[in-house]
Amino acid sequence: MKLFTENIDGIMVISSLPKVLDASNAMEFKECIPRIIEQSSQAVFDMSTVQFIDSAGCGSLITTLRHLKGAGGTLKLCDVRKQVRSVLELVRMHKIIDIYNTREEALRSFSNEP
Amino acid sequence: MSKSAENHHKKTVEIFPNDEKAPATILVVDDSRVVRTYLQSHLQKEEYQVIEAKDGKEAIALLSDDIGIILLDLWMPEMDGMSCLRYIRENFPDIPVIMLTVSNEVSNAVEAMKYGAFDYVTKPFNPSELLALVQQAIRTRIQARRLRAVEAELLKSREHEITTASRIQQTLLLGGRPKNLKGMKIGDLTIASKNIDGDFYDFFMINDTCLDVIVGDVMGKGIPAALMGAAAKQHFMGALFRMARISEAEELPSPEEIVSQVHGEMIGRMNELETFFTLCYARFDTSRKLVSYVDCGHMRTIHYHSDTNTCTLLQGVDMPLGFPGQKGFRQILAPFTDGDLFFFYSDGLTEAKNPTCEFYGEKRLTDFVQGHAFLEPQDLCRAVWKDIVKFSQAESFSDDFTCVAVRIEMPEPEERYNQEWKLEVPSDLGELGRVRSLIRDMCRGLGSNLVDDERMKMIQIVATEIMTNIIKHAYQERPGETIAIEGKTTRDEIVLFFYDWGIEFDFTSAPKPVFDGSREDGFGLHIIAHTADYVRYSRDSSGKNCACVTFFLQRRG
Repeated sequence: MKLFTENIDGIMVISSLPKVLDASNAMEFKECIPRIIEQSSQAVFDMSTVQFIDSAGCGSLITTLRHLKGAGGTLKLCDVRKQVRSVLELVRMHKIIDIYNTREEALRSFSNEP
Repeated sequence: MSKSAENHHKKTVEIFPNDEKAPATILVVDDSRVVRTYLQSHLQKEEYQVIEAKDGKEAIALLSDDIGIILLDLWMPEMDGMSCLRYIRENFPDIPVIMLTVSNEVSNAVEAMKYGAFDYVTKPFNPSELLALVQQAIRTRIQARRLRAVEAELLKSREHEITTASRIQQTLLLGGRPKNLKGMKIGDLTIASKNIDGDFYDFFMINDTCLDVIVGDVMGKGIPAALMGAAAKQHFMGALFRMARISEAEELPSPEEIVSQVHGEMIGRMNELETFFTLCYARFDTSRKLVSYVDCGHMRTIHYHSDTNTCTLLQGVDMPLGFPGQKGFRQILAPFTDGDLFFFYSDGLTEAKNPTCEFYGEKRLTDFVQGHAFLEPQDLCRAVWKDIVKFSQAESFSDDFTCVAVRIEMPEPEERYNQEWKLEVPSDLGELGRVRSLIRDMCRGLGSNLVDDERMKMIQIVATEIMTNIIKHAYQERPGETIAIEGKTTRDEIVLFFYDWGIEFDFTSAPKPVFDGSREDGFGLHIIAHTADYVRYSRDSSGKNCACVTFFLQRRG
């Protein structure tokens, strides 16, 4: 799986996420996580490309969050499509992962934190 | 018997039409012939018949219900007075016994009274005192007999009352089975146990397409339970009528509203009477092809699905009516299709026991209904009865036997909406996309006014979750196994069937979802349960598992 990553002031922004994030590619996605953490423990997933997510996809986001938190950072999401957002809310992930409308808002939120 | 004694006899007979013999026979027990003769002569003068015994042994041999009273000497050879008294009290408790004693033995006579002697007289006897005592004892004996007669009469009339109540219950309280229903056929059977009890059921025709069925069971037995059942039915009928009038132009009161109303009306009284009843209130709506039901602790209704030839059990979440602290009732929806059957029943069926005290049980009943669902509803009820009789090897049970079968008979009209889709895929996660494409095609076929893009994606998620579960759990990630998918669409709903031949799914072992971020799995079932309108899972006898999900396209229930 090819993920496009940018390092913006020490925060990893990952875009070009797959269109579908489901049980068929969740394992492959999880294997990419160490490569992200290598560079920074703060990450933003730009979700604009993701059109479909299932419980396995949600699970891979949680795994990412756990790894980043273990390294002292966190994961934030931005630009989440309506339908994907309703799934995240259904499994109450909006309570444990901050979701922002835009990439800029997500990046700004890091500098607002102590 | 002397002539005057016969007269006495006649007089007594008039008072006691049920008695064959008057209690005017006196048994005199004394080892002294002199005493016996003395007593006999005095008593016969007063028209009593006298029989004699010289000791306890002889007295016992002469005992019968014909004896009015006994005069019993305390001291005798061959079983003394006290032993003889004890025997009489145990075996003929209604016969008064007057103890005969000498003056220096009065303390023993008093002791005898503790053991139930009527009174005592001291020798030498004062004839008038003795006769007064004898008369008093005879009167006591008469009253005892009268009491027994009244008791017997009461028992008889109580039995008669129960028989009558039972007949009333059978003919008037149990609802008449509606005939000529459109889209449904009903069967019912009720067989009273030896005693009447609190099973009740009724049918309310709401309109051409709606039938309400109530089935209940009042705690306890006997006439009070049956009356409570009748009262409950009356409250339901009243509530339905009143609520339907209030909301005349609007929608019908829902089963949960009706049950709440009746609960509110009855709870105060039921708490006073310390009783409660279990209930299933089911509304069959053939226009929406949906049963909406409220289950308050009743036996789980069997739902036979004709499409998969399997059964599921309808179970609600509410406590029986009459339990304090009940706040609101929740109705549950289950869609049905042509050929489906619903079987309501009382605990008299599942709790019937065989000679080794084994219960007939829910499993046996469900299997029987599934195996005989092809029968006409009325014949099915009878067949169940016969099977339980065969099982328990008895024709009468300790509980009432009540069952109601409702079969849906409404062939689908040929419409452009009614379409069927089929797809077979190997057990490979790479096939998830193909399954989602199938769902997209199905939804597009219905038009965007029935299924918008967002809804379609939610249906796709449910399909993805089910497929993933089958591949990972049923087939344990073994490649090359088959998953068959069937889709049916109508104007009202989308129904998806997923068949596999893997391991049976065990709901109890499925992990509960944890939402605090500490776990990444366990969300699949949660998503399915909160997205689909109706989910059922079954496994048939050939080992084919079926997960079936329904999505309503319009508001139902």
